[in-house]
Amino acid sequence: MRNLLHFFLKYLSWLVFTIYVTISVVILVKNNPYQQHVIMTSAGSMTASVYYATNSVTSYFNLHDINEDLQRRNADLEAEAIALRTQIRSLREQLYADSMTVVEALSPYTFIIGSVINNSIYRPYNYITVDKGEADGVKPEMGVVDQNGVVGIVNIVGPHFSRIISLLNPNFRLSCKLRGSDVFGSLVWDGKSPETALLEELPKHTVYQPGDTIVTSGYSAVFPEGIPVGTVISAHRGADDNFFTLRIKLLTDFARLSTVRIIATPLIEEIQEVEQDIQEPQTKF
Amino acid sequence: MTKLVIKFAIFFVLIVLVQVTVFNHLVLFGVAVPMFFIWWLLRLPLTLNANWALTCGFLLGLTIDVFSDTLGMNALACTIIAALRHPVLHLYFPREEDLTDPEPSFRTLGPAVYLKYLITLTVIYCTIYFMIEAMSFFNPIRLIMCITGSSILTFILIAAIDSITGKQREKRL
Repeated sequence: MRNLLHFFLKYLSWLVFTIYVTISVVILVKNNPYQQHVIMTSAGSMTASVYYATNSVTSYFNLHDINEDLQRRNADLEAEAIALRTQIRSLREQLYADSMTVVEALSPYTFIIGSVINNSIYRPYNYITVDKGEADGVKPEMGVVDQNGVVGIVNIVGPHFSRIISLLNPNFRLSCKLRGSDVFGSLVWDGKSPETALLEELPKHTVYQPGDTIVTSGYSAVFPEGIPVGTVISAHRGADDNFFTLRIKLLTDFARLSTVRIIATPLIEEIQEVEQDIQEPQTKF
Repeated sequence: MTKLVIKFAIFFVLIVLVQVTVFNHLVLFGVAVPMFFIWWLLRLPLTLNANWALTCGFLLGLTIDVFSDTLGMNALACTIIAALRHPVLHLYFPREEDLTDPEPSFRTLGPAVYLKYLITLTVIYCTIYFMIEAMSFFNPIRLIMCITGSSILTFILIAAIDSITGKQREKRL
């Protein structure tokens, strides 16, 4: 009887072990980033508040570099603003009879400024947590950029925090094109380095120069057209010879991400409604 | 008994906080990640029922997973480590009944046995963790570098912090 009891107890811990291993494997295998509950991610209120408290201290460490980036970006924008102002003036002169203003028609986008409270770059699937959530108007599938370029896309939204799928995540494919041409492909991270990614599915006749800028194509409502993403380093021949693959140096420095802008567009629902009938095996943003 | 439970509960909260706020961001050369939190699991009393040890391991792994968005990876590896604690210790210390204090440490097991116990389980942990990670991008050189780098870093950290805290306790006594 005692032996039997002992045997049963031994068997019981094997059973417990099997149950835990099964649970772990199940949540590991069906790790679909779009179907996780908010509690099980870093956007959950408890997890996020821990990161929020930490970030209130650590966010000061990168300020010098971020300031430099902002100054450079500011200079670029100022130059652009001057160029645009000149252009608008000349357009206005040409169309003075027409009452329509050009600028208003071009800005259906608004930004929500968020601060990064948790970020990873060395895992195979990287995510970013920011301190803006549903209460601030963030919705899933909104695009996220910083002062240098594209960062990712909003994935899971909690009441005050949300999780972003980083560009450094193979679940995220971004439709991009070479600046100045209409040749487009899709950008995907290959897990090698947090500084580079691959631009795949380019047509074979693509003409490029190392150093060319890659921008978003604007083929979806998530990112407006022309947001910088990276620069071309070299050609990278993939297994499939029908298409061309380029290695891209990403402009966003994911190692010291601090403030990001979430792109809110009122058109997103309208465009999604129109595209609802199209069934694609993999969603591109 | 209750004192021990409270002590390990506080220890759990502290080690999770330290891991997610400090050590998760302390990645050396892009390969060596300190898995410091397994220290808690390795320090659990050896007299603890196997089922409870497995539960503790699973919960620790899951908590770390939720914080670092790696659902399932640490939970699986921690459960396996919790199950392997006794067999590994048996390799180096066959007479477990002789222990005066059930908590494995430098003092109870002696430095040689304790360090061997630490390094073996750390290497097993890092191997399991990075093997799971390699299911997404298989890169043998990176895999080996990750396992070696993380094992060494984790082992050094745990051994160092363990010896500091152990000495303090002795002084107090």
